[in-house]
Amino acid sequence: MRKKITVILLLSGLVLALLPLSANRSFMVKPEKLLSEVLNPDVSLTVDQVAKLIVNEDSTIRIIDLRPTEEFNRLSIPGSVNVPYIYFISSDLYTYMNDRNITNIFYSNKSFYSNYAMVYARGMGYKNSLVMEGGLSEWFNTVMESKFTGERISARENALYETRAKAAQLFTQINSMPDSLKAVFMAANKFSAKKLDGGCE
Amino acid sequence: MGPLSSYLLFPEWLDLLIAFMIGTGFGFALEQAGFSSSRKLAGMFYGYDTTVIKVFFTAAIVALIGSQFLNYFGLLNLNQVYINEFYTGAAIIGGIIMGAGFIMGGFCPGTGLCALSIGKIDAFVFAAGGLTGAFLFAETYPAIQNLANSNYKGPVKINESLGMSSGLFTFLLIVAAALMFWIAEIAEKRFARPEITNEI
Repeated sequence: MRKKITVILLLSGLVLALLPLSANRSFMVKPEKLLSEVLNPDVSLTVDQVAKLIVNEDSTIRIIDLRPTEEFNRLSIPGSVNVPYIYFISSDLYTYMNDRNITNIFYSNKSFYSNYAMVYARGMGYKNSLVMEGGLSEWFNTVMESKFTGERISARENALYETRAKAAQLFTQINSMPDSLKAVFMAANKFSAKKLDGGCE
Repeated sequence: MGPLSSYLLFPEWLDLLIAFMIGTGFGFALEQAGFSSSRKLAGMFYGYDTTVIKVFFTAAIVALIGSQFLNYFGLLNLNQVYINEFYTGAAIIGGIIMGAGFIMGGFCPGTGLCALSIGKIDAFVFAAGGLTGAFLFAETYPAIQNLANSNYKGPVKINESLGMSSGLFTFLLIVAAALMFWIAEIAEKRFARPEITNEI
C-alpha cells in the first residue's frame, strides 16, 4: 500500500514537472521600504522628460503602455509597447523587464494603472521601473497642445518647445499611419524573449 | 475560482468559522493518529518512531500536488495565497528554540493543544511553557526587534530562489521525501525501542 502511494505521488510530481508552470518571483521588498521608495519623486518622469528621451531616440528606455490594446492601436506614444495592465499584473514580469540595463517607463490614460504597475514591478525587485506623470492626458496637455504665448523666448524655453514640437510631430506621424502599416510597425515593437549572450551567430 | 475567501469576499466571521472547522478536523485527525502522545514526537528525535515526519511530509506533499494542479487548471490562484515572510536570522534562531522545545516537551504546538484537549498533564505544562515563551517574546520584543527583523527576504519561495518551475520543485521534493521515508524506516529498525509503547 505504501509503495503504491509513493508511486502515485512520484508520478503526480513527474506530471507537474513536465507542465509549463512558471517560476514567477514573489514580492521581494518590505512594505515600508517599498512605500518610501515609490513616494520618492525620483520614480516618476514628467511628460517633457519623456518627450526628450523619445526625440533623442534614447536606447536605454522602454515605454510601456498599460492601456487596453484597442486604445493603444488607436493612439500611442511613439516607440511605446503595449502590455495591458491586466496582463501585466498576471504574468511573469521577467518577460517584460528582463533587461536590467533598460529603464521601463509606464504610462496609462492618467496615472493610476501606471503607478500601480510601477509599485508592483518595484515590489518584485525590478528597480528599473519609472512612471510618466499624468499619462496620456498629460501628454496631450503638455506636448500636443503646447503653445508659446509670451513675447520673448529664452534659450531654455526654446529648447523645450522644440522638443515638444518634435515629439508632437512624431506622435502625429505614427498615429496617422494607415492601419496596415501601423500593425507592421507595432509588431516590430513587440516584446521578444531575451536572447542568450554569446554563442555562434 | 479560489481562494474562495478572497473571491467570494467572505465576511470575517465566516473566515474564522471555516478556520475553526478546519482546525477541529485537523486536531481530530492528529488525535486519531496518536499524535497526542509525546512519545511519538520524541521518537522522531531518537529515531525509534518516525511516524511524525512521514505523516506531516506526506500531508505537505499531497497539499502541494493538489494546489499545483488546481493552479494549473485555473481553479486556485496561488498568487493570492498568503506566504509567510522570511527573515533569515529569526528563522534560524527561532528554529533552534522551537526544536529544543519540541524535544524537551515532546510536542509541537499543534499536537500539544491536541493532547491538552484530552487532558494530558504534560501537555498542560507544555502549553504553559509555550505561553510563557510568547509572553517573554512580547515583553522583550523592543530589545530583540532588530534581530527579529534582520535579513528580510520577503515571502520568497524555494523554487523561485533556485529559478526552477514549481512543478519541477514539487517533483524533486517528492523524490526527497521518498528517500527520507526509506531512511526513516531503516532508522526505526536500527533504533527500535520495543519497551516504549503508545499506551498512556
